[in-house]
Amino acid sequence: MAGAALSFAATGVLAQTGDARYQKLEDEVKALRQQVTTLQEQHTREMAELKDMLKKQVTVAAASPQPPGTPGATVAPPSLYDSLKQSAAVLVPQAQGVKGADLDLSVVLDLNFYHTDAKDGIGNLRNRISGFESQGEPGGPENGFNLREVEIGLSAEVDPYFRAWATVAVDEESAGFEEAVLQTTSLPYGLTLSGGKIKSGIGRLNRQHAHAWDFFDAPLVYNAMFGEEGLSDKGLQLTWLAPTPFYLLFGTELFNGGNEQSFNVSDAEAMPQHDAPRLYTAFVKAGPDLGPNHALQFGLSALSGRQQRWSEDDAAGADGDSRIFGTDFVYKYDAKRAHGQGDWIVQGEYFYRDQDLDGVGGWAGAPWTARQDGYYVQSLYGLLPQWRTGLRWDQVGLINDLSTPVDGSVSYGDSYRLAAVLEWKLSEFSLLRAQAGRGWYATDDGREDALELALQWEVTFGKHGAHDF
Amino acid sequence: MNKFNLMLSAAACLTNAQAAGIKIVTTTTDLADITRAVAGDLAEVSSITTGREDPHTLTAKPGFIVRARDADVWIRIGMELEIGWEPVILRDARNTRIHVGMPRHIDASDHVIRLEVPTQRVTRDQGDVHPEGNPHYWLDPLNGRLVAATLSERLSALYPEHKAKFEENLHRFERDLDTRMFGTALVDSLGGENLWKSASEKRLEALLSEKGAVDKAGGWYGTMRPHQGKTIVTYHRSWVYLTERFGLRGDLQLEPKPGIPPSAKHLAALVSEAEARKVRVILQEPFYTLKAAEFVASRTGAKVVAVPTMTGGSPEAASYLEMLDNVIRKVGAAL
Repeated sequence: MAGAALSFAATGVLAQTGDARYQKLEDEVKALRQQVTTLQEQHTREMAELKDMLKKQVTVAAASPQPPGTPGATVAPPSLYDSLKQSAAVLVPQAQGVKGADLDLSVVLDLNFYHTDAKDGIGNLRNRISGFESQGEPGGPENGFNLREVEIGLSAEVDPYFRAWATVAVDEESAGFEEAVLQTTSLPYGLTLSGGKIKSGIGRLNRQHAHAWDFFDAPLVYNAMFGEEGLSDKGLQLTWLAPTPFYLLFGTELFNGGNEQSFNVSDAEAMPQHDAPRLYTAFVKAGPDLGPNHALQFGLSALSGRQQRWSEDDAAGADGDSRIFGTDFVYKYDAKRAHGQGDWIVQGEYFYRDQDLDGVGGWAGAPWTARQDGYYVQSLYGLLPQWRTGLRWDQVGLINDLSTPVDGSVSYGDSYRLAAVLEWKLSEFSLLRAQAGRGWYATDDGREDALELALQWEVTFGKHGAHDF
Repeated sequence: MNKFNLMLSAAACLTNAQAAGIKIVTTTTDLADITRAVAGDLAEVSSITTGREDPHTLTAKPGFIVRARDADVWIRIGMELEIGWEPVILRDARNTRIHVGMPRHIDASDHVIRLEVPTQRVTRDQGDVHPEGNPHYWLDPLNGRLVAATLSERLSALYPEHKAKFEENLHRFERDLDTRMFGTALVDSLGGENLWKSASEKRLEALLSEKGAVDKAGGWYGTMRPHQGKTIVTYHRSWVYLTERFGLRGDLQLEPKPGIPPSAKHLAALVSEAEARKVRVILQEPFYTLKAAEFVASRTGAKVVAVPTMTGGSPEAASYLEMLDNVIRKVGAAL
């Protein structure tokens, strides 16, 4: 009963709405007809007025052929600027590049000949430096010819909000991302947010790709604390350019934390698990304005993250915090001569690492701590146009105090290295470099020394982006 | 009434203060000087380069980033002259108003007369060749004049309230430039615009003889007129706009290819060519080493003239017009 009443009511409503819609459409058509008629009338009226106006104009022009005040000229000729502007526009060529997309592509190729007298190769020797021992793959070049990873860089402005770039490193066996970054371009208040796999903004050298280094290889302190590739991780970076009269940049980063040397997590079952993000960094860079010939920049960095060690043989490990504090500076003198002649650069960085880990498994209850540091100072001078020469002094382990469940409290010695470089930059896109160095390393087998020699031939092709400071 | 006046003058002061605060950053000193001429005291103008360095290569220093951050207007030479450093400065300055293509990013090359625009595909085998043409266009005084007009037009669009002032300043600058170029007598009798128009159509000589004004030719034009057709050797292809404007031949360079320093082999070939064409002047910017020029000079008897092509490059080149004046005086004297 209730159902029938409901369906009847529904039909009633439908019929009603059908009528109403019909009525509404009819009204609309009427209104439109009226509008069209009004428009037609208006148009006829306006055309008549226009004709009248034109007639009047013609008669006025006939009566006084020259406008008052400009005798002898009916129309003012275009100014020189305006006429040349037209002809110049024809000359401007079409933009070149990848059609349809403003995509910059660059490729870096680097062939080098390397030789060292270190008996098991420089990578293994570096992995055996006392206090900085690493189980990681021994990096570094091998004796003979080496083709460094081919660096393929792609970058573009994505839209009015973002830019993006990716650097793909390809070697004979594999390919991987050195960097893959998304970045905002239009945040207010001097803010920029980046995300992706980022080369961290800490220190000075860390952000640079290998091809932008002033020497063939990275300093020992970078190898010891961040590994062959530097600190590069997945996460977010926020930087703020402060509204100060001099350059002042603050930055902070949030990373998964997966650096082999200082922020490693073990996948051993016995180890406690920690969710990412596990690494936080903060940095500040300041650059006072010292006039046209000088440039100076200071930096401070702090990193804090999770570090784990695991020894399969002892079925024991350690889990805790790793903190790094760093400071860096760079001074550049610009001699204002062509091709870098007389230019001068001094640059240095210092890092201090403090690790506090607690034993796990076989080492349960025993602490594993380390206080270590390292630095480098380098200087390059523009000997002749296109030619630079430089020296670098490297040292790690000035402080090298470890306390481990295996060895107890030990202070290891330091390791140091001196390198000299000579570089011929034939153009913006190619260089030849020779580097010779000798290192003295503290290892468990006592002090070992090693000579290194590298001859490097590097070219960049495609669109070569402008270099950072 | 008094109170009202006071408020009015206070308001006037305020707008004045704001107006004086148009912060303009230019990439080069020549642009800065022309901008100062057009904007007058309405703007604070500063240049990234000093006029003493090679404008192709520059380090994007932190101080530049701060200046770009604070800039209301950014003006560049364009045609890829600043490609090695402008992108980094603009990226790091985080000032979206002056990004390339925005109204506050002014490319001074927009309406200049271009030379050496490649008609073939450019490869780097040719050296530092700019695909949009040779960017050293400011050595043609006519291009300086066109840049000033471009700046006046673009600044007027940004600050319509100062349009009249910009135009007044522009005309004063143009009058100054025209007088220095052609001499007062010629400008007074034939008019600056008219003279330039003929010059740009390569019929200035015809106009002068038609009007019987040949003996009135003064200024830079008068200085260089007797030397038309002579060849000069230059270090880089940064002088082609000057040689083209004054009817000199400037196709011999110390550089074998643009941006590539002189080689012994190239210089040997150049010496015989320079001797054959009786070259008397070797022209270069002071920031290049003098060795190659002196080598060619010692074998050909030509004179080396090292003179800045950018404002501020030497004490004599205190302004854009003074810089041109200095160049033409020295080249004219040596030819």
